[in-house]
Amino acid sequence: MLIQASVNSNRTNMLINEYSKLIQNGIKSEKILVLVQNSKKRKEFISKIKEISNIGFLGSFKIFTFFGFINNYIIENWPIIENNVKSDENRKISPVLCGLEVSQFILNNCINEVDFTGYNSKTSLLHQLLRRSNLINLNNLSDDEVNYRTKILQESFSKEAAEAINKYKAKTIQKRAFDYIRQLNLFEFLYKKLSCPYEYIFIDDADEIAPYLLSYFNHIKKNIKEFYIAYDKSGSSRLGYLGAINVDFEEFLNQKAINIDSLNNEKEKNAYKIYSDIKEEKPLVLDNINIKSYLKRDEMIDSVVFDIKNLLKQGIKPSEISIVTPLNDDYLKNTLTKIETDTLKFNFLNKSEKLNQNPTIGYILELLKIINKNSIISPYILKGVLIEIFDIDKKEAIKIVQEFKIENQNIFEIIKQKADLKADLKDIFDFYQKIAQLPLSKQLYEIADNYILKTRNNSKNIIKINQLLKQISDFEDVFKNDFDTNYLNNILLTQLSNSIISENPLSDDEIDDNSIVVSTAQKIIDYSHKTKYCFLLDIKNENWIKQDIGPLYNAWVMQKSWNKDSFELTDNIELSKDKTARILRKLYLLSDNFSLYSSSYDSLGIENITGIDKYFENNEQKAEDKKQIKPIIPRPDQKAVLDYKKGKMAVSAAAGSGKTTIMLLLVEKFLEGKIIKDIKAENIFVLTFMESAARNFKERIKAKFPNLKELPNISTIHGLCLRILKENNNYAKLGLDFDFEILDEIKRGAVITKCSLDCAITPDKVALYDSAISAYKNELSVYSDYKTSNRLFLKVFEEYSKILKQENLIDYDDLLFLSLKLLKENKDVLEYYQNKVKVIIEDEAQDSSFVQQSIIKLLSGKFNNIIRCGDINQAITSTFTNSDVTGFRKFIKEADEIQMDRCQRCATGVLDLANDVVKLAKDKKFDAFSNLIMKPVEGKNIIDKKAVSTHQFESEKEEANFIINEIRKIKKEDENASIAILLRNNFLINKWDEILKTNYIKTYKNSDALINNKIYKISLYIMQFISNPYDNKILEKISEFLYEQKIYDKSSLNYAKSLKEPIFLKDDYDEPLFWDMNYFLFKNHSSIYNLSLDIASYYFSNTPQRVNIPLFAALVDKIAKTQKTFEDTVSRLDEIKFRPYFSNIKFFSIDEKDENSEKSGKVQIMTLHKSKGDEFDYVFIPEMIKENYCFYDSELKLKENSEFNEKIKKKPKTPNELKKEIVEENYRLIYVAITRAKKKLFMSAAKKYKYYFKLKDYEPTSLFKDLEEMKIAKN
Amino acid sequence: MLKIDTFSANSLKILDKSLKEFEDKYIYNLNLFKKDEKALLGQKFHNLICYYLKGFEVEKLMLDLNDNEQKIFKNIKDMLQKRKKEGEFVLLEYSFNLKEELNKKAYYLTGRFDAVFKQKENYIIYDWKTLNIPKDAHNDLQTSVYLYALSKIFKTKNITMRYVSLTDLKYEDIPFKDEKYYKNLIDKIVLKIYN
Repeated sequence: MLIQASVNSNRTNMLINEYSKLIQNGIKSEKILVLVQNSKKRKEFISKIKEISNIGFLGSFKIFTFFGFINNYIIENWPIIENNVKSDENRKISPVLCGLEVSQFILNNCINEVDFTGYNSKTSLLHQLLRRSNLINLNNLSDDEVNYRTKILQESFSKEAAEAINKYKAKTIQKRAFDYIRQLNLFEFLYKKLSCPYEYIFIDDADEIAPYLLSYFNHIKKNIKEFYIAYDKSGSSRLGYLGAINVDFEEFLNQKAINIDSLNNEKEKNAYKIYSDIKEEKPLVLDNINIKSYLKRDEMIDSVVFDIKNLLKQGIKPSEISIVTPLNDDYLKNTLTKIETDTLKFNFLNKSEKLNQNPTIGYILELLKIINKNSIISPYILKGVLIEIFDIDKKEAIKIVQEFKIENQNIFEIIKQKADLKADLKDIFDFYQKIAQLPLSKQLYEIADNYILKTRNNSKNIIKINQLLKQISDFEDVFKNDFDTNYLNNILLTQLSNSIISENPLSDDEIDDNSIVVSTAQKIIDYSHKTKYCFLLDIKNENWIKQDIGPLYNAWVMQKSWNKDSFELTDNIELSKDKTARILRKLYLLSDNFSLYSSSYDSLGIENITGIDKYFENNEQKAEDKKQIKPIIPRPDQKAVLDYKKGKMAVSAAAGSGKTTIMLLLVEKFLEGKIIKDIKAENIFVLTFMESAARNFKERIKAKFPNLKELPNISTIHGLCLRILKENNNYAKLGLDFDFEILDEIKRGAVITKCSLDCAITPDKVALYDSAISAYKNELSVYSDYKTSNRLFLKVFEEYSKILKQENLIDYDDLLFLSLKLLKENKDVLEYYQNKVKVIIEDEAQDSSFVQQSIIKLLSGKFNNIIRCGDINQAITSTFTNSDVTGFRKFIKEADEIQMDRCQRCATGVLDLANDVVKLAKDKKFDAFSNLIMKPVEGKNIIDKKAVSTHQFESEKEEANFIINEIRKIKKEDENASIAILLRNNFLINKWDEILKTNYIKTYKNSDALINNKIYKISLYIMQFISNPYDNKILEKISEFLYEQKIYDKSSLNYAKSLKEPIFLKDDYDEPLFWDMNYFLFKNHSSIYNLSLDIASYYFSNTPQRVNIPLFAALVDKIAKTQKTFEDTVSRLDEIKFRPYFSNIKFFSIDEKDENSEKSGKVQIMTLHKSKGDEFDYVFIPEMIKENYCFYDSELKLKENSEFNEKIKKKPKTPNELKKEIVEENYRLIYVAITRAKKKLFMSAAKKYKYYFKLKDYEPTSLFKDLEEMKIAKN
Repeated sequence: MLKIDTFSANSLKILDKSLKEFEDKYIYNLNLFKKDEKALLGQKFHNLICYYLKGFEVEKLMLDLNDNEQKIFKNIKDMLQKRKKEGEFVLLEYSFNLKEELNKKAYYLTGRFDAVFKQKENYIIYDWKTLNIPKDAHNDLQTSVYLYALSKIFKTKNITMRYVSLTDLKYEDIPFKDEKYYKNLIDKIVLKIYN
């Protein structure tokens, strides 16, 4: 009997009825094999059979899950295998049918015995091989079949992989240890030798079976009187890595299926539409599907929570709701758990759970590590163990920990010394002595037996402990003869700390009846978990579409049915799409209402690239839903930009001309279809120079069009390139592994230092190589066959490239070069993007590099609509990046040029000065500027011909005093005025910060430093307090900060200052600081990640800053992974606090206009470069000496790095050309600095400065004199 | 809360002793998994016996035992061989399921016979014990459940429950008593959960 039906049908009941008929006809239950997908469905099947049976003997059920059947088959017939093993060593009456962790350990050791030299990414090798071996087994592939596929895939490490896998197989036989996938081999071996005991076979969910089962059915087919198969023709959601196969069951049974899916049924019809439309890439519009999109993930989660609460209010039960996301992560778990109530609970079904995610297990593991001296003991962890496991009084625990920190001896010795005083401590010491030498499983058992509550509330923990006990016992069984107890305990602990409770198909999660299930799509489908409301989250995230291919495994080609002689990337795209379509169809069938949610950024603030959002379209929401904000009336020079129709347009926009506003208006006009008809957001590309600008741009578009599902592609060139590399698995065309990562600037520095030092470069020269590597890559992109003659450099470069390759990393330069290469060498990829890019708008075009411009040119090749905005006069990055202003100059000549030359920002005097600088450069024959002369806007600029003043002083002290006095004067007159001090070099920032602070003027420096983020600051302080609760200084900092934030009042500040003893020993229940610190100190968390989330959300969860909470937690988590202890992690957090970002995690800058804003009332200190794009009422530019502001090439001394960079180039510039370029950039730099000032500009210099501890005489910049002469000449 | 409607001899024993203990163990799973060397040895003997009776070659498997254990198993083998000449082992490691009714509600009994031996019209349920034979085997719940179950399967009263101590092959036989007696005994315990 063959039943074709979806999960919504009653096909399982039909099977059960047939089963029951057989029994009634006297067929013995032992003759009927029933196979279902998982243990949940098995339980349901059995219970239904029992229910409909008559009273009396029911027989002996042969009802198994797919994998459970194999497991049972092996146990029943084990002697055949044992008798086939040649050696008498390690004979076993029964095998160890273990978890994946044992296999991982064995395979890892086998990998070490095989030479994988040159393999790209060592970190993922184990993972790759496990997947390869799993696919071979699931698909029942013979060696020949594997070899054939190796050729198709042109695999370079197939021989080594085969060797490792063979060693692994031999080892598992030797150990008689087989995980559920490895068991498939044994199964095949056995059934070929044995007769079939069954006469009837029932299979439910047959569309999800893998080839190993199909081979078995083919083998026994002749013995079977009847098959009863229920399948879903468009099912097979486990295609790909999970091994399902599309089977033509009609052909297999040679009979027609009974089709009980009715396409008249609206739900079935729509489900099929989902399936077919996705496959054809037709965006879907369905009535009961809602789509909501947000910028940040937090906003998305908030909205989901809001909508769920509304449903509950309407009387919907939690069990009628499910949340589906591929990112079922700690952050989501944490956020949802926080809103749990007695009636609202969440049930998180994790595919795999890290051991330490369960707090109890986490602390038990830590205790085991302490007992077995497995790792350095972190005082923070020790405190948790003492409190959580041994239930020691909290204050007492901290005292013990402090003693441990000071004495640094065995913790149990300390406990022993204190045992005379307290009986419970004696018990702990005795307990330690009793179990210290036992095998790990016994230690764990004793801890659980003695110190873990066996109450019903603790039931979930006990289950987890038992899973762990079983896991450890298996491990010990397999390896007990190889190692002594201590050593084995330590191996195991190390393995367990890194491992997860792997998904074990033999023991599934239970679904709670009264909670909202939060799960991956696959689990919901596997369990056929039906709900009224299904919330699909993170639909823009790439994890919705699983990667089923890697360098050593390819789930598609390794399918048993693969019959093509090649594998193209289009195959992967098509097959992944097919699988996604199947998953979404099944999900849809399981729920009455589908709500889709997306966010542009994930929890780490990283842009979501592409998910399943592209398959859905919202019915109602269009760009017309524009929020009516007061319209901006453009000036005539601005209007010309908005009149754009098509083709190339160059916009030269002077400083303060309102460029950002106009670009925004232009994008809006595009979105509304007023320029190109029917253009979609996805066809609009906007490139900004900085990531922050891109985020900002998006927020402003989103604010105007709150209902827009898809935003235009707004990113930096690096963001765009990353997307190009990741989309459609393009990376594979470049030979990159799918898990390639981008080397951030800090790690890049470390790698370059290592390479340089390895090549015997002296430390003082290392910095030269840093920028030279980037410059050299730029050269290679222009001249592909070029090789520098500088051998030493080449050596460092090659070493650097090697490390990147080994660790599967690419740097920021590679992002661009590889994308360009990809587009140049792959016509299909290029066409794909050219069809997409209907218009590309580039901001800060003057800073665009040669590669960037080449990419833009290629991308816009079809529609040729390129809009480049910038200001040649503000090109200030060419001396330290690969930016190439000549490209923009050329573009201006070719394109229609619009000049936005009206500057409404600066006072007239400032404007005149800026124009004078342009003229001066021209007079001195420097080609620094364009012909753009700025003009004021009537009625806007402050008319003040005396807005600029220059000042010269005898000493730097005088200069400082002058500036301080001026600032005080300004503040007296206008408390809210914005004031900036702009400096030529980074190192001057701290000096001026110091000067102002000693004069009680508040400062704000380096706006990008991590520590300038409120969340980072308070969390770092609190973590410092937790790692040292005896340090009251940090409490002062905490209360000071919280006072500044108006969270504490003055009395808390005074309280902190008055503290004489540790706060945790006090009983000051009236003090908020006391409460808060006790909370943090005594609350133990399962992980540093959770601790960070808790701290970070404590004060700011209801402020706009909350979007940075997950970023902070992720950052801490990343650091923690590289540090041994919590305390080390905190130190590291302190070390990096001045960096602008860490490991590509960058905080969202929150534009806080309220009085709590970090900047308000403070004098901002920054470099000239940093000030670009900003504006201030008052600007000071001190220390304008010739050395820093040189405007004559004859007076310029070239820096070592400039010359070094030139030397490695194919066509190096002469020193004179180089000097000229630098002077030109100096002109533009001062131009930028000048044009920051709205009301007044103060330029100054002193005659003497003390730099690097040496007081010396200096001349002021020639600019002062030259401008003076110009003024005289003018008059 | 999870509904438990299926009982084994062991779970009935616990339910008989205390409802709380039963719930803790079978509903809340509060018992810790303990690796027990003696139980493991028992498992080994069970498996070996089963493999041997199924006709598998077990010489190589026996190398997993120490000398003393091998001696014990050889004796067991001799005994089984002798028995095979006298009758037939009709069931091996056999899981059964029974449906029962109590106050118009169904409940289920489940269990696993180590081996069932048939000699002419008489059945013997073999239960291998590595530790001790139950002290009061006659009144042990396992005896009742197993005898009751087999009587339902083969529809006969000619049944004996035989506990065999594997170490010395001493055994104790308990003959089938009365179906109603068993049913009442089991019902009485199951009622505890119904109330």
